[in-house]
Amino acid sequence: MEVSVMSSSQAKICKTELGCRDLRSCFGKTNYKNETFSRKPNSVSFDKQISRLRKAGLRFTVKAVHSEPILEAKSSTGSTSLDSLRLFVGLPLDAVSDGNTVNQARAIAAGLKALKLLGVEGVELPVWWGVVENEEMGKYDWSGYLAVAKMVQKAGLKLHISLCFHASGQPKIALPKWVMKIGESQLSIFFTDRLGQPYRECLSLAVEDLAVLDGKTPIQVYRDFCESFKSSFSTFIGSTITGISMGLGPDGELRYPSRHKPAKSGTITGVGEFQCYDTNMLNLLKQHAEANGNPLWGLGGPHDVPTYDQSPNISAFFNDHSGSWESPYGDFFLSWYSSELVSHGNRLLSLASSIFGDSEVSVYGKVPLMHSWYKTRAHPSELTAGFYNTASRNGYEAVAEMFARNSCKIILPGMDLSDKHQPCNSLSSPESLLAQIQTTCNKHGVEIAGQNLASGGLEQIKKNMLAENPIELFTYQRMGAHFFSPEHFPSFTEFVRSLNQPELQPDDLPQEEVEATESVQMSSDPNIHLQTA
Amino acid sequence: MAAVTVDSLLQNPTLLFRPKSKVLLKPSRSLDCSRNRKLLLSRSSCFCGFKIKPRQTSLVVRASSSETALIDNSDTFSTDDVLYKETFPVNRIEKVEGKIFIRLDQSKNQQDWQLTVGCSLPGKWILHWGVSYIGDSGSEWDQPPKNMRPPGSIPIRDYAIDTPLNKPSKGDMFHEVKIDFNPSNEIAAIHFVLKDEETGAWYQHRGRDFKVPLVDYLEDDGNTVGAKRGFGVWSGALHQFSNVLLKAEASPADSPNNNNNESKDSKNKNRHLEGFYEELSIVKEVSVGNLVSVAVRKSLETSKLVLHLETDVPGNVVVHWGICRDDAKRWEIPAAPYPPETTLFKNKALRTLLQPKATGNRSGALFTLDEEVFGFLFVLKLDDNTWLKFEENDFYVPLSGASSVLGQHGQSESTSEEISSNSYTDGIINEIRNLVSGLSSEKTQKTQTKEAQESILQEIEQLAAEAYSIFRSSIATFPEEDVAETDTDSTKPTVKISSGTGSGFEILCQGFNWESHKSGRWYMELQEKASEISSLGFTVIWLPPPTESVSPEGYMPKDLYNLNSRYGTIDELKVLVKSLHKVGLKVLGDVVLNHRCAHSKNQNGIWNIFGGRLNWDDRAVVADDPHFQGRGNKSSGDNFHAAPNIDHSQEFVRKDLKEWLGWLREEIGYDGWRLDFVRGFWGGYVKDYLDASEPYFAVGEYWDSLSYTYGEMDHNQDAHRQRIIDWINATNGTAGAFDVTTKGILHSALERCEYWRLSDQKGKPPGVVGWWPSRAVTFIENHDTGSTQGHWRFPGGKEMQGYAYILTHPGTPAVFYDHIFSHYRSEIAALISIRNRNQIHCRSMVKIVKAERDVYAAIVDEKVAMKIGPGYYEPPSGGPQRWSVALEGKDYKVWETS
Repeated sequence: MEVSVMSSSQAKICKTELGCRDLRSCFGKTNYKNETFSRKPNSVSFDKQISRLRKAGLRFTVKAVHSEPILEAKSSTGSTSLDSLRLFVGLPLDAVSDGNTVNQARAIAAGLKALKLLGVEGVELPVWWGVVENEEMGKYDWSGYLAVAKMVQKAGLKLHISLCFHASGQPKIALPKWVMKIGESQLSIFFTDRLGQPYRECLSLAVEDLAVLDGKTPIQVYRDFCESFKSSFSTFIGSTITGISMGLGPDGELRYPSRHKPAKSGTITGVGEFQCYDTNMLNLLKQHAEANGNPLWGLGGPHDVPTYDQSPNISAFFNDHSGSWESPYGDFFLSWYSSELVSHGNRLLSLASSIFGDSEVSVYGKVPLMHSWYKTRAHPSELTAGFYNTASRNGYEAVAEMFARNSCKIILPGMDLSDKHQPCNSLSSPESLLAQIQTTCNKHGVEIAGQNLASGGLEQIKKNMLAENPIELFTYQRMGAHFFSPEHFPSFTEFVRSLNQPELQPDDLPQEEVEATESVQMSSDPNIHLQTA
Repeated sequence: MAAVTVDSLLQNPTLLFRPKSKVLLKPSRSLDCSRNRKLLLSRSSCFCGFKIKPRQTSLVVRASSSETALIDNSDTFSTDDVLYKETFPVNRIEKVEGKIFIRLDQSKNQQDWQLTVGCSLPGKWILHWGVSYIGDSGSEWDQPPKNMRPPGSIPIRDYAIDTPLNKPSKGDMFHEVKIDFNPSNEIAAIHFVLKDEETGAWYQHRGRDFKVPLVDYLEDDGNTVGAKRGFGVWSGALHQFSNVLLKAEASPADSPNNNNNESKDSKNKNRHLEGFYEELSIVKEVSVGNLVSVAVRKSLETSKLVLHLETDVPGNVVVHWGICRDDAKRWEIPAAPYPPETTLFKNKALRTLLQPKATGNRSGALFTLDEEVFGFLFVLKLDDNTWLKFEENDFYVPLSGASSVLGQHGQSESTSEEISSNSYTDGIINEIRNLVSGLSSEKTQKTQTKEAQESILQEIEQLAAEAYSIFRSSIATFPEEDVAETDTDSTKPTVKISSGTGSGFEILCQGFNWESHKSGRWYMELQEKASEISSLGFTVIWLPPPTESVSPEGYMPKDLYNLNSRYGTIDELKVLVKSLHKVGLKVLGDVVLNHRCAHSKNQNGIWNIFGGRLNWDDRAVVADDPHFQGRGNKSSGDNFHAAPNIDHSQEFVRKDLKEWLGWLREEIGYDGWRLDFVRGFWGGYVKDYLDASEPYFAVGEYWDSLSYTYGEMDHNQDAHRQRIIDWINATNGTAGAFDVTTKGILHSALERCEYWRLSDQKGKPPGVVGWWPSRAVTFIENHDTGSTQGHWRFPGGKEMQGYAYILTHPGTPAVFYDHIFSHYRSEIAALISIRNRNQIHCRSMVKIVKAERDVYAAIVDEKVAMKIGPGYYEPPSGGPQRWSVALEGKDYKVWETS
């Protein structure tokens, strides 16, 4: 049986031209060893490696393979999770923007080849609701995305699909036209802030079970969308497509749109605002308050909060000392606000796992890293986003528990952020928040996949990837002009290489190489290299 | 030579090994041949080339075996003061020469013929053979008819037969196989190769099959043996050899069926099948065992340790040695005295040449060491830079308590004895092979891995560059340029030198034309003009190609290190560069890296062997140009067909070229490069060269044709400029490129009065300068397009419009020599001074204000306005700027703000 598996995998490799070689498989013996031996004993992958190496023009003598244990012992120090780490790269957000064409297909094709050679495992593809089901409800156009999936398959890469039920500002991708049309007459399908401004980039969680979309509930519409996706991509799911992440809100993240506009980088971000002012949210709040015997608490959100860009101390609610967030009212409101978010996440993720659970894919949901003001006691940014996480309460318990219940994995963005690069006095701490969420997830057995928010920050990403808490997958955002530019791409290449062969680093520094082998003496003669080569 | 006996071949070399209790002894066999030994550690070569030397009978095989331990106890030491004594086996791969002989002769019955193939070297030889029939086309083999196949033959698929070579009789040293055949079998030729099953090596003839033609009209493809040679050419010595063969000849298996074939085919009668005998030399790698013996004793007089080392490894043997002071075996250099012929190697080790002993082929040395030395470490270096080690480690002689444990090789003693007592050949050869591959595998693997990595990285870079250029071109503005532009408004920007741009304020002078070589003293002539050129406002001058060249203009370089050319001598060049530097000009050398003319022909008569200091062979030539039969890789770019294209993917080529560029910088004082025909190889290599030679400025000639539809140039030349951009991108922006696109569009615009062509769809300049201005070197003419060649001459009389355009626009403008020293001179000088006065640089902002049928106008950096074409344009009056005319000429006008 083993034999048949081996030969079929070889055949596959020979078939896809790119499958034959990737950089990773050529990164020297040490890594090669890692790949094949420190994983579970797996003759398939071993064989695959060998045949790849053959294709790449390398010859391994039997002798060399036998001498492995020595080298393995050398390389096994320090790197715990590297072998199992999988690296993905996001495709451009607008890889498909009008349903049936692939934008810059030639560039993407070249990019896919480059990534494959680099040893990247796969790519992530955002699939937009507003692209596929743009014209009318139930009318799906998958052709553009199918074309991309084929390209990815041909390149021998894996594909991670992000189902996006939200809109994008840059590049401009709106919600489906027919949804926006409904929204024009019925603003209450959108989240709304205290001033009554709607957020038109995703639907309010409060309408999910209401038949607001031409007689259907949003949940039904999402379900139909996912079913259609599943049947359209059935040939890819489980083979090329290995992961699907379910859009959970603004930017696909599980949160309230507590900031309507993206924060400017490098500036201190304000605390954001609670988004509980659309009529349906207010209704829910009212019912909840009445059920709790405090009907007066159900008339609206807290009155003593700052506006979007203000700092927490401007008004009383988020004050670190006797702010009203710590009052019984505060606790009442924040518990409700955050539990609504968790139930919303639960609705969508249980939907996703009911549809995709029987296929060979992992289902993911994205949790934001609301790191501003983390060093205050109140954590106001997290509170307005819907995470009741303060100095005295771990708000991610409920979240992680919900993910665990649905057997979903968490995507955590912001692995590129480091505390030292935050603006001073921002009281922000991405690293501590990340650690907190990771710890909580570990406790509940929820696996974490990483993402970056901006390009660059590769050192920090590496640090996070090599940290004690293992990340099962990292998706680097995102392919495009900048990604391949001479300013960026070489450092990314270095990054990938260093991930794949951290033990080989001395090898890259010729001086050290001499040092390392000096005791072997033979190599101190320059001729030897030429002569044995 | 001819007198050398062949008898020795027939001796059976008895390979002796005696198990010894104390001394480790491995059977050693040394095959001595009269030629130089070649010791190989690498197993990479699997077949060797052959030369036909029919009269050569040089092989002497002397079977010698080391029957005694090398160090005789009674000789040097008395037994009781020996503290340590050890004999290390070492194994080398030695090239042994022998012969393949091929004989075709008629058997006794006058009808059948016999082909005999033999080999004089030991081995498990297999003849892998097939035939081709009369009328076959192509070079495919066929199975021979059954009655031709000797006993023991195994068919290999449907085209070949494997037949083992056997010793004709037990005492023979050579192996042979005989194939009987009847010439009427329609067989045109017999093809074969020899395989040595022991080593898996294949032996071919001139890189191809051996071919024995049985009809005389087959064309000689160079791999034919025995063609047009009869029995008569045998020499005496060969005859002797052949007698041996004849004696050993078994009675051929006569096939009775053949008798009736005699008159079968009239064609047969036309054949002049002649017998022949031919010998080809063959080289086989054979593993050879030798011994290294070490004995240590205590000197009674000095209380020092005396280590005696001796080996039977032939030739000059150098002991590369040191001592260690603890178990870590870290090499140290002991205090003097050292044996004679000892040198210090890089402060890491000592090297001692072993002195030949009076008796035998041995050499040895005596080392005197302090008592407290913990151990003695060494490796052996042989004549040809081969290293011998003990298994994969240094040889180690423990000295502290030397009499006690023997250390690491105690184990191997038992294992090797085991092996030797079993089957000698297989076991030892395998072991040796492992040892050898073990020795070299790590290093080779490392290099192989490195190479593979490098080529993949290059492929990745190419793909990334492609993806980048497409993604980038879909973005309307280029961040790189935009950022640069914002800082530069009125204050002088900080000058950052990069080889792609120089300072950003460069103005280039092409300092020669197509005729400049004619006087033979161009360097001297140009020198007289140095200060004049500088005073015109140029900052950079481009000199003609300096190397020895097959063509007088210099673009067919031969010996790159010979800088005496038709332009002058190397010394005149140096003087010229010095005086150009003195007047503040940077100097560009015109370097031709794409191709190089060979000095001599290879054996096929193809010019691809180079001479001079860089004496490359056909490995330096790309493989995909049929004219030059290169053995390198495929070209990474287009081919230039007049000369061998250099394969830049070869590490040694790049290394040599980098060294050469460095030498030019150093020796001549060049500041940068004009790179000829860069279409011919990948831009990534250019980056490599520029990174290595760190030029002040570099510009590449990437010249390919623009797009035309029905003879009319397309308005949109984006694809053309994209190709140039792609190249620049592949160099990572380390080089600029001549903006051929702009020249082409200027041609159409001016020639046909279609000035609207000078704006692209996005309102930017339509050439490279519109997309990547800082890397665009704009020009309107050069030695190829204009001068006396005139391949693509700028519209006559409109040159000043061209200069009014390029000298006011971003990019780095280049002015052609012929134009400088013409009646345009003062106008060009005026334009240059406007450019310099207004600090227009390669990244200046250009705003196209008019691009109509008969007029094009633009404002640059809001400081300079210009128009070309007969139509009307005046810069806006009454705005914030006040414009005044700075220069006016035929169909052009330039204003500046006052």
